[in-house]
Amino acid sequence: MSELKERTKPAAKKNSKEWWFAFGVIVVATLLTRLYKIAEPEHVCWDETHFGKMGSWYIKRTFFFDVHPPLGKMLIGLSGYLTGYDGQFPFEKPGDVYENVNYLGMRLFCTLLGAATVPFAFVTVWELTESLEASFLASTLFLLDVGLITLNQYILLDPILLFFVMGSVLGMAKVGSQTYKAFSAQWYFWLVWTGVMLAGSISVKFVGLFVVLLVGLHTASQLWNILGDTSQPLTHVLKHFVARALCLILLPILLYVCFFYVHLKVLNHTGNGDGFYSSAFQSQLIGNSLHNASMPREVSYGAVVSLKNHRTGGGYLHSHWHLYPEGVGAHQQQITAYTHKDENNKWAIKSIAEIEPEDKDEVQILRHGQYVRLEHLVTKRNLHSHKEPAPMTRKHLQVTGYGENGTGDANDVWVVHIDGGVKNQPVLTVTSKFRLIHHLQKCVLTTSGKQLPKWGFEQQEVSCNPNFRDKNALWNVEDNFSPKLPNVTVQVYAPSFWERFLESHAVMLQGNAGLKPKEGEVTSKPWQWPINYKGQFFSGNQYRIYLLGNPVVWWSNLGFLALFCSVYFFQLLRHQRSPEVRSHEHKKLAAGVWLLVGWALHYFPFWIMGRVLYFHHYFPALMFNSMLSGVIISYILEVVKELLAEKVAFVFRHCLLGLFASSLAYSFYLFAPLAYGMTGASGNDPNSTMQSVRWLESWEF
Amino acid sequence: MGVLQPTQDAELINRKASKKGKTDKDLLKRNKITESEPDTEKREMETDSKRPTQNPTELNLQPVKFQCQISFQFDLASLICLVVGIATRFYNLTQPHSIVFDELHYGKYVSLYMKRTFFFDSQPPLGKQLIALAAYIGGYTGDFKFVAIGAAYPENFPLFAVRFIPALCGALLPVSVYYLLLQLGLKQLTAATAAFLILFDNALLTQSRFILMEPMLLLFSVFGLYCLLKFIRCRESPYTFAWFAWLIVGLFSLTAAVCIKFVGLCSLLLGFYVVWRDMWSLVANKNLSIWSLVSQALVRAVVLFAVPVALYLSLFHVHLSILNKAGPHDSVMTSAFQASLEGGLASITKGQPLQIAHGSQITLRHSHGRTCWMHSHAAVYPVRYPDKRGSSHQQQVTCYSFKDVNNWWIVKRPSRSDLAVSRPIDAIKDGDIIQLVHGMTSRALNSHDVAAPVSPQNQEVSCYIDYNISMPAQNLWRVDIINKDQVGDVWHTIESMVRLVHVNTSQALKFSGKQLPDWGFNQHEIVTDRVVIQDDTVWNVEEHRYTKSDDQKERERDMVHAEMIPTRPTTLSFWDKIVELHMKMLFSSSDTLQDHMYSSQPLDWPLLSRGIAYWVNTTTNAQVHLIGNVAIWYSGTIAIFSYCVLLVWYLCRMRRKIYDISADEWARFDLVLEIALFGYGINMLPYFCVERTLFLHHYLPALVFKIVLLAAFTEHALTVARSCRWSNLIYWPLQILFASWLLMILYVFVQFAPLSYGCSSFTVQQLLSLRWRDSWDFIMQRSALDVDMLL
Repeated sequence: MSELKERTKPAAKKNSKEWWFAFGVIVVATLLTRLYKIAEPEHVCWDETHFGKMGSWYIKRTFFFDVHPPLGKMLIGLSGYLTGYDGQFPFEKPGDVYENVNYLGMRLFCTLLGAATVPFAFVTVWELTESLEASFLASTLFLLDVGLITLNQYILLDPILLFFVMGSVLGMAKVGSQTYKAFSAQWYFWLVWTGVMLAGSISVKFVGLFVVLLVGLHTASQLWNILGDTSQPLTHVLKHFVARALCLILLPILLYVCFFYVHLKVLNHTGNGDGFYSSAFQSQLIGNSLHNASMPREVSYGAVVSLKNHRTGGGYLHSHWHLYPEGVGAHQQQITAYTHKDENNKWAIKSIAEIEPEDKDEVQILRHGQYVRLEHLVTKRNLHSHKEPAPMTRKHLQVTGYGENGTGDANDVWVVHIDGGVKNQPVLTVTSKFRLIHHLQKCVLTTSGKQLPKWGFEQQEVSCNPNFRDKNALWNVEDNFSPKLPNVTVQVYAPSFWERFLESHAVMLQGNAGLKPKEGEVTSKPWQWPINYKGQFFSGNQYRIYLLGNPVVWWSNLGFLALFCSVYFFQLLRHQRSPEVRSHEHKKLAAGVWLLVGWALHYFPFWIMGRVLYFHHYFPALMFNSMLSGVIISYILEVVKELLAEKVAFVFRHCLLGLFASSLAYSFYLFAPLAYGMTGASGNDPNSTMQSVRWLESWEF
Repeated sequence: MGVLQPTQDAELINRKASKKGKTDKDLLKRNKITESEPDTEKREMETDSKRPTQNPTELNLQPVKFQCQISFQFDLASLICLVVGIATRFYNLTQPHSIVFDELHYGKYVSLYMKRTFFFDSQPPLGKQLIALAAYIGGYTGDFKFVAIGAAYPENFPLFAVRFIPALCGALLPVSVYYLLLQLGLKQLTAATAAFLILFDNALLTQSRFILMEPMLLLFSVFGLYCLLKFIRCRESPYTFAWFAWLIVGLFSLTAAVCIKFVGLCSLLLGFYVVWRDMWSLVANKNLSIWSLVSQALVRAVVLFAVPVALYLSLFHVHLSILNKAGPHDSVMTSAFQASLEGGLASITKGQPLQIAHGSQITLRHSHGRTCWMHSHAAVYPVRYPDKRGSSHQQQVTCYSFKDVNNWWIVKRPSRSDLAVSRPIDAIKDGDIIQLVHGMTSRALNSHDVAAPVSPQNQEVSCYIDYNISMPAQNLWRVDIINKDQVGDVWHTIESMVRLVHVNTSQALKFSGKQLPDWGFNQHEIVTDRVVIQDDTVWNVEEHRYTKSDDQKERERDMVHAEMIPTRPTTLSFWDKIVELHMKMLFSSSDTLQDHMYSSQPLDWPLLSRGIAYWVNTTTNAQVHLIGNVAIWYSGTIAIFSYCVLLVWYLCRMRRKIYDISADEWARFDLVLEIALFGYGINMLPYFCVERTLFLHHYLPALVFKIVLLAAFTEHALTVARSCRWSNLIYWPLQILFASWLLMILYVFVQFAPLSYGCSSFTVQQLLSLRWRDSWDFIMQRSALDVDMLL
């Protein structure tokens, strides 16, 4: 471990004037490019409609459902709150004009976080390579990428995510370069910093997991090095391990849970996301019908109820005036599971006697093992099943609404089976979990969680499963209206924070899995991203913003990536041939390997994701690629200096850098309008000024 | 709701046929109770099989040959493996004498091979070819119709011959695994253990007894790896006959695996890795000059490339030259492909005029993706859609997936009014402006600035009706021939791919992929789109003839009674065919995501959560159910886990310069890791990323590697136990444990063997007693059971 010892020298002249000058230039340039025209366009752009809206909900404290963890939106909400935004703007759709709305604070906040990635990149590359040249080149690539500017300037989660990702990488590099002063206060500071940044990354979007993986691998490799140093006792290794486990595993988990705690504490009013959650969860939301609800305790025949499915994210049993289309089982009325509260979720409980008992005073309570028919209140059709395959899950039976004015047939009869119940046990509101078993077909009412196509309004499929051991076949009564029974305050068992935490995650995971591309929808494909094949419109009409990378940056990045791989492979081959040659351990190459791993970790997993993908998912990977480019250029310059005569190397160096800088600057000049807004004729128009830079047919600006 | 369904991945075209297979009622019929009699013959076989593991000491040859010669050495253990393998796999092979599970698909393909009829399958052809060959030798003529699972084979059906190849491969697999382990440098006892595990795994047995692909896939994978391991033993003497032979035979075998199912690619990659790893270690050998290294790398690279490509292509060549007649799957392919087949489209399109001219009657086919033809009928767009948008209320234009008289259109130049084609013909060229008149209604194809019914961002396409409401006809279209570089700039039947660009708006005629609601008879929507360059705007002429008369009634009569006289067949080169076939194979399977009663998830496999019902006798409840030997599967999962833990442990200890095991043992440990663990991973992990219906039998390739690892792990454990400090204390107990473990495996095998052979009947009680896990769904009569029993 001589390598470790050598490192005991403090990093080279870090505080030199040169360093601070370069750093200052980058910071100033970053601020200039990022803050320019930040207030324009003065209308809602692209996904601002979502995240602005969610920020507003935090300010208004109404509950909602989103597939991403809460931190990013909470920060947006907080920044809006602090800068005087009152949360009243509806953010309805892109293009809505901000009139007298204090949106600038939120935009500024996101932009500043996004801008921080540039100096972060500078310091990261410096820590990894101790080469000012590499740092400067890498951060210039960040600086002049119009795509990053576009993505950073709006109220989106991405600038926040990029900030935390780069912050994590910065911390990782810092910790790596300070191994020689382990356990010092400074070292601990950076370890904690890394932990906090990691927590931030995964609390903004789940793709933050990739950077967690990267930091995990880096930490493992460091521990591996420490383990190999046999001059140190095993307890030394253990100490290193414990310090890292505390700061990089425990701390992020704690923070993550804390963010959720705040999220659930802040959002304590009912909102539009209630239906995704279980009845118990909903009872905690002020304004929800289950909050301090007053309902009959028992469910009786003649009561009007809504039935909630017990799977996570399961909806209410629902029907509407629409039939299953031709070819999908019988041409009868649709039964679905719907996650929003609605009049169409109401069902009347009837006995199987054709004529309701005249005696109005006698109240019959619904009990375990009894026969029952369910009549849809609005359409007067009975819940029905028969021997036809269900629309999505072919092995299940189709469930339909059948009959006229409540008169159906024998296939409308269901048996109530309370989970773990005994004979004559009454069905209780909210608390009883029960199955509905079809009497004739011997199958159990369930929901598969699959989305129906357009004809079913993308609600969830309800079917009848011949396999009784279906975990999703449990239901509970949520609303219960019965004039015959007295209302009592229903003491819904209040779920603890942990139960709510776990339920939120189950619902989120399901929501994420449900983000499948719809039939016929064109989604962005991962192969298109690195080659900058197609961008994304942020704002249309008069003032157009188009998210597209600076092609010079992106394409040269790919070239440098390939160059790095070949150079590194060549050095490995040399090492394999003669083990004493260790040129592959050159500091810049070692740094490059980590950046390459980071790029791969942030890019390849998208290939196997089934969900809807967007162009902007590539930006974290892009950042790693840009840093790698900076590193490999400076490595090549260094090698050339050693190989060639001094004069030639000097000329080569200046030509290369000059060419690189000028082409970068010129391309920035060409493509800057994409980020700062284009007016006038569209790019398709031959008269447009942008026609000349439409290098690829697929760019649609 | 068929209880027994074939897998969809094998077939997407036959979905209709398999849906008809409603056998559930019969299957669920209650059976009479018949005791399953203990099968004496089987018992005997099983005692035989214990022999290799019990008396290995007397056979303690030095098994690993480091010489480079092809030497066939049959030791007694391998011979016993072979005999037991043949006995278990071939016992009662023609029972059940009816279609079992995916035999439905593969049997159908075999019949089509016999009839030389073209079919489309998303997997390569080798497996089906081998079975077809056996069937051919067995005298099968392809007359049997595979209708539904459970349908009985006729008496004269050569069932033994058809099931012969999979059974043979299944019987050879244990021997191959035995030799593979010897090549890995493991003891003979270990190799015999692995063979024993392969022999007595119920899933591998079941899969080998029917017309299924996996046995062949497994055998070719294992044998290929064995050859490549042999090859790297020859590293000291490159370019010798043995060196080339093992390399080429190994790659040949692995490529054969790819040609049976694409998942064979995983094994091929593992083979590449083996060769590459050997090359990489050669780099460190200073005795070899740089140039000899470079030349060897080149030679290996050439062989690694050439053998697979050559074999793959030649198999497809055989496939396409055998299947030269049109068949039921033709419509999946393009018109050009179909026209190259005998009969079918070829018989219709033969003799068609080549050049489209003014007055041509054509059908326009959507070239890429869904097969349909531009269609119109005497129904109009509804005045208002449900979302309150209005329409033009003109005649609908749709894309219709069936051949119909309403698919005929007549090409017309705007300047001419006569329609009959006269010499010299007025051929349409690239860039010409035309009108398209619907044959049966004589209305012209039109488009205008009205939002399309289902895709409002696009323009509506209609057949123009003049309502006198200042909505003028915009019925001029420009013909853009996309492939004019290949076929010339005159519009040709079938060959020319065209876009029809609307002259007024510069938008292209497009198939939007969406279905119209009931008012459009659920046909597909046709629109025009601003984005001209895309696959869905490409059309080609499929059927074509010249108009003979200007009288409309006569024209209509012609269309209804159209018949052609074949004169000249069209041809398509092998390359074009293979490219098209692969495009369809790779990109068509994605939309077959359907549920199957017995589908499972990769995470279910290591712990054997579900089986697959293959077949059930409606009267006796005798059934074939794919389920593994649970003792083997669970021990395998434990072994993999322990192996990984041990690996981390050894690595950490070695990092601290502490060596727990000898260098030899470590080398063995490492090699097993790189073959078996990598093999397991590479055969397992990809399934986590695919979005299609998966089945337990997809796990079998990974299972074989898992068994190799399991056997190697027992050897490692015993070796370590013998060399450790308390070896006297724990070695014997361990050996006893080992022996009783083998006995337990045998016991489980015997318990579940009736489910593999499908010849003994069951009572419901017996089936319930076999349901060791709640999630195993054997088929049984349910009305006899009450609710709580099923829960």
